[in-house]
Amino acid sequence: MTESQPEHGRYLFAFARGLDPARLAGVLGLRGAPLEVVEHRDLQAVVCSVDLEEFGEDRLKEHLEDMEWLEEVARTHHDVVYAVSEVGAVAPMRLVTICSDDASVRGRVETLHTQLSEALSRVEGRREWSVKVYATRPAQPETVDAGRPASGAAYLQRKREQAAQRRSTGDQHLREADEIHQTLARSVVATRVLQPQDPRLTGRADTMILNGAYLVPTGETDGFRAVVSRLAELNPTLEIELNGPWPPYSFATLE
Amino acid sequence: MTEAAGTPATSRPYSSSVERGSYGPAPANLADILERVLDKGIIIAGDIKVNLLDIELLTIKIRLLIVSVDKAAEMGIDWWRNDPMLSSSEQGLADENRELRRRLEELEAGSGGDRADD
Repeated sequence: MTESQPEHGRYLFAFARGLDPARLAGVLGLRGAPLEVVEHRDLQAVVCSVDLEEFGEDRLKEHLEDMEWLEEVARTHHDVVYAVSEVGAVAPMRLVTICSDDASVRGRVETLHTQLSEALSRVEGRREWSVKVYATRPAQPETVDAGRPASGAAYLQRKREQAAQRRSTGDQHLREADEIHQTLARSVVATRVLQPQDPRLTGRADTMILNGAYLVPTGETDGFRAVVSRLAELNPTLEIELNGPWPPYSFATLE
Repeated sequence: MTEAAGTPATSRPYSSSVERGSYGPAPANLADILERVLDKGIIIAGDIKVNLLDIELLTIKIRLLIVSVDKAAEMGIDWWRNDPMLSSSEQGLADENRELRRRLEELEAGSGGDRADD
């Protein structure tokens, strides 16, 4: 007779410290399952039960390819992480880390205790802010179309000029992005420079020249906002977008 | 400067069930969420095996957004329709999608190619 397969696993949302589980009452996990807090030593793991019919190896791979499924799970994951960040120091998990049971969860906490403690200390009392900078599209085309080129050489010359223009604009953007990033870096605890997002994801026609994450002590939020505002005033040809606060996804990492 | 809250830091009751849509202001931008939950955070192996390569490919896919133009429009991404400077390059977009799909298939077949990194 074959051993029955476990039907449920424990989906890990985040590790935490100093969390009062009662403050998560009413927050639901995936598919309406209640959130639970697994304690081990001075650390905590925020989990919920998931059905392995949906989250087991076989189906998981398929589901990850399904944008609708992915969106639902990603939003729930983020909502839970955010709720935890409101009530304690939090180290958010990447999506879809599932342990067999609580003993396994505690085993992970034990193995990673030092690194988890460091990660949580790095972000405690601090929040992540996103700053994205866009170079707005010029109002006029870069070169005036003077009609058909007089010759092949003239055509090539125009092409070279356009390419040089694009390169010089690109260089300028790099300088502007770097200056903005360095200014922000001086006023925060830590920074991470992220990959600029593809325009088809942002839904914007203009170019993202900086995608930065900044770790700011909660009490210094207003000061940070003021720095961003001033940068926006100093850079009228750029659009600077501040977004947050975020749980510290980019900073509570295991070193 | 534009500012948008990720998710509001007020004391609204949280629910991650399907009723979520009825609570509070608009939720955070999906691109921003995916960028964090797929590619950041604590990365450890669980007991349910998730091929890290699958996650990385997924991250690349999201970055390249390999979707048809129609699917993207469904998702509310349709800036190329409104911008007259760009509507003439719809064909260019379809061509580019085909090329990106080809590159992704190459990656999935393990034949190398560039990988996006932070």
